[in-house]
Amino acid sequence: MHKTSPEIGGMGHSIKRKEDLRFTQGKGNYVDDIHLPGMVYGHLVRSPYAHARLKSVNAEKAKALPGVLAIITGEDLAKAGLSWMPTLSGDKQMVLATGKVLFQSQEVAFVVAEDQYTAADAAELVEVDYEELPVLVDPHKALDPKAPILRDDRDDKTNHIFHWEVGDKQATDKTFKDAPVKAKVDAIFQRCHPAPLETCGCVADFNRATERLTLYLTSQAPHAHRTLFALVGGIPEQNIRVVSPDIGGGFGNKVPIYPGYVCAVVASLTLGVPVKWMETRSENLQSTGFARDYHMTAEIAADNSGKVKALRVKTLADHGAFNAAAQPTKFPAGIFSICTGSYDFPTAFCEVDGVYTNKAPGGIAYRCSFRITEAAYLIERAVDVLAGELKMDPAELRRKNFIAPKQFPYKSALGWTYDSGDYEAAMNKALKMVSYEELRKEQAEKRKKGELMGIGISSFTEAVGAGPAHTFDIVGIKMFDSCEIRIHPTGKAICRMGTKSQGQGHETTYAQIVAQELGIPATDVMVEEGDTDTAPYGLGTYASRSTPTSGAATAIAAKKIRDKARKIAAFLLEASEEDLEWEPGKFFVKGAPSKAKTIQEIAFAAYTNVPPGLEAGLEAVNYYDPPNLTFPFGTYICVVDIDKGTGEIKVRRFVAVDDCGNIINPMIVEGQIHGGLTEGLAIAFMQLIDYDENGNVQGGTFMDYLLPTAVETPNWETDKTCTPSPHHPFGAKGIGESPNVGSPAAFVNAVVDALSHLGVKHIDMPITPWKVWNILKENGITA
Amino acid sequence: MAIKIEKTFQVKEPIEKVWSLLSDPYKVVTCVQGAQITEQIDDRNYKGSIRVKVGPSVTDYKGEIQIVHLDQEAYEIEILGKGQDVRGKGSASMKMTGKLRALEDGGTEVTSISELNVVGILAQMGARVITEVSNIMFEKFTSNFRQQLQASETAGGEASQTHAPEPISGVSVAMSALKAAFTREKK
Repeated sequence: MHKTSPEIGGMGHSIKRKEDLRFTQGKGNYVDDIHLPGMVYGHLVRSPYAHARLKSVNAEKAKALPGVLAIITGEDLAKAGLSWMPTLSGDKQMVLATGKVLFQSQEVAFVVAEDQYTAADAAELVEVDYEELPVLVDPHKALDPKAPILRDDRDDKTNHIFHWEVGDKQATDKTFKDAPVKAKVDAIFQRCHPAPLETCGCVADFNRATERLTLYLTSQAPHAHRTLFALVGGIPEQNIRVVSPDIGGGFGNKVPIYPGYVCAVVASLTLGVPVKWMETRSENLQSTGFARDYHMTAEIAADNSGKVKALRVKTLADHGAFNAAAQPTKFPAGIFSICTGSYDFPTAFCEVDGVYTNKAPGGIAYRCSFRITEAAYLIERAVDVLAGELKMDPAELRRKNFIAPKQFPYKSALGWTYDSGDYEAAMNKALKMVSYEELRKEQAEKRKKGELMGIGISSFTEAVGAGPAHTFDIVGIKMFDSCEIRIHPTGKAICRMGTKSQGQGHETTYAQIVAQELGIPATDVMVEEGDTDTAPYGLGTYASRSTPTSGAATAIAAKKIRDKARKIAAFLLEASEEDLEWEPGKFFVKGAPSKAKTIQEIAFAAYTNVPPGLEAGLEAVNYYDPPNLTFPFGTYICVVDIDKGTGEIKVRRFVAVDDCGNIINPMIVEGQIHGGLTEGLAIAFMQLIDYDENGNVQGGTFMDYLLPTAVETPNWETDKTCTPSPHHPFGAKGIGESPNVGSPAAFVNAVVDALSHLGVKHIDMPITPWKVWNILKENGITA
Repeated sequence: MAIKIEKTFQVKEPIEKVWSLLSDPYKVVTCVQGAQITEQIDDRNYKGSIRVKVGPSVTDYKGEIQIVHLDQEAYEIEILGKGQDVRGKGSASMKMTGKLRALEDGGTEVTSISELNVVGILAQMGARVITEVSNIMFEKFTSNFRQQLQASETAGGEASQTHAPEPISGVSVAMSALKAAFTREKK
């Protein structure tokens, strides 16, 4: 790969993020910044009950409030066949409730008024008569014969959604039967929420004259959403334009279609004016896509030397009232079967059962490739439990079982083909950075003095960039992604993408790929995303897929342009194409570097002096279907000190060595790692969307659902190794989710390690000081 | 969300007099701020309402009150109240057990165990706030109860039931609850 100059700013340059100029000056343009002439406002009436029969909705008082324009109920939508909508996971979900409500905060009616305050006041006046029904909160009781059946709309009168299994059950069971060493852990990856800074919302603008619907939407996947609105709403697809403007964080929360969007569209269709609907913070936490809620058991069979022989995983997945996860069609439990992790398991068996409960729907992939965070957490916890059984150092046990570099491409026991990796190199680097041996000595000395200190390792493997069309689709749409590049006559460029940044820095990184391939300075490349009228079709941004898919499409489209540029250069230089050599930014005649044409000169000629027989213009489009996922990895090491008196956990050090293959912008990669680690810290220690026995949400405000701030966040020490992906056009792998996927296990392993001498083998997240203090108290430990 | 509040307080009035107040739903209800009995169905069942205002959220519960257990000899009463918010914001039920014990000095000890179960908007406010709101409500009840005892003395046994019920003071309850929540040790 050519090294470009800092002026060009291709791959490997830490150029500053182009989008930050507007973000840091308050000049971003988010959905809630959009104000259209004549725009009115919607507000949702929500259920206070987790499970209740809906007897009547009386909107008379609300309608009488001056300024109220319309009130839409589930019965109104039912007349138009719109009271239910399909989810991205093949289930259906109520838009507005009819018959009964299934979770607290479920959408019951949509009030439209001239201003948002009137809409909110009117929503208070809507009188709804409910009859409470028995509530199902605990997923472990969902299949109990006495459990209330929640979804009486389904033919199957059961709370069971799916059973999914993969692997060789017989061989696994047999290995376990004969194994001398077994380790087992029951671990809950708790229900948490991405809580993006910007909540979900939209402005629906239906123009009765043109019959066009413009939908400004907090969408991570604008094209897929356009198609779904066309299929479900019956609006011709050419008459729908979805625009995702600046998005203030998504993390999977903005992948599903929410009832509020549909209500705003219906209201705009009905009233003929633009309708804005924006969630409040509590609405976001209580009703839109939550993440995780996986109740898992992992068992490892090993020999006496610590060599792993088999993995057996059984999981109960709580999907809430509707299966509104956004999984690829063939994967009801996502990529959870990556749970063999970085280790060479000869055989494995994994099964997942999904159930309904009276909780908010979701199961979205929070900064995660479809359940991979759950899988990585589980295997990294289980390996530590095995180390405890064997009384073996957890680093040594990992080293003994890593898939070796020479085994790649590696076919895992559960069917995945890992592209490349060098797990030991990443772990060795992290161990050295943290001075592991010294830390273990320090820990032994501290233990003698009764002080509590722990070291936690997580050597995770990721699988990102969904995905190959032969395996991955969402509601039938294959998971390719795209890029269209146009070079203007003056040599500047515009790139349009099928993906959609939510803060990841796409406007900078895609420009750098173009700079790398064409030598046009990254500052001269405008990147545009999120407008379905202009961008090529794509599946959007989540699952760390932008670089593996659209990034690849950008490189390939740029190469097509370079091929045409070569023809134009040959014409201009009166040389044959074969006699030309390329260096970033120009073609020159071999052996005569002064005989050269810059990409800018070539671009100008493409419009002013077109070679005979060649089409005018200089542009290309590529739809990239990756041959495989990419498999980033890394080792994270966390060091904690625990206060014996309060149970408070202090993260003393956190070392993160990531390998995401070739890097486009090191600064942006580091920023992604910092952000992901901070989210991982919050999940490990602070966050839980809890429900009481009546199904009342106990994590529905920022008073109960805690966000990490600079105060809680330790100093992140980052470094990298580089193992390029062999199948990606420029060897990149994707980084966005690695730190969130890999870090929870490191935090938990560290705390458990600090308490392991007390017989502690596992603590479920979030590990609050309260939990630790209770463990200390049970063991008679005081300050 | 279930909350159990157990309180004991002492009054100087004799047990018979306290019992006549505690065992009369019409009188007891006036001690609960914002509550009123709207209809008597039979000697054990009544209809009533209570308005609770916490911060910006007003909840008007309408429902039924049932005397589940009344033991004249043991001075024990168990009352079950169940209500739904008229605008469909949620429901609440409360089982209150009251028990009296005569004290040597001629006064009476009142023990009350309330089990409150809240569903809906109020319950979302988090256990800390709702527990504090309940505590404040109960303190109000206690002071009203004492006042009723004294009032019945001066007014010749008939408590005034004519005044319209005031809702439990909104902002002040919310503020005291929040303050209590923030200043308590967090679990």
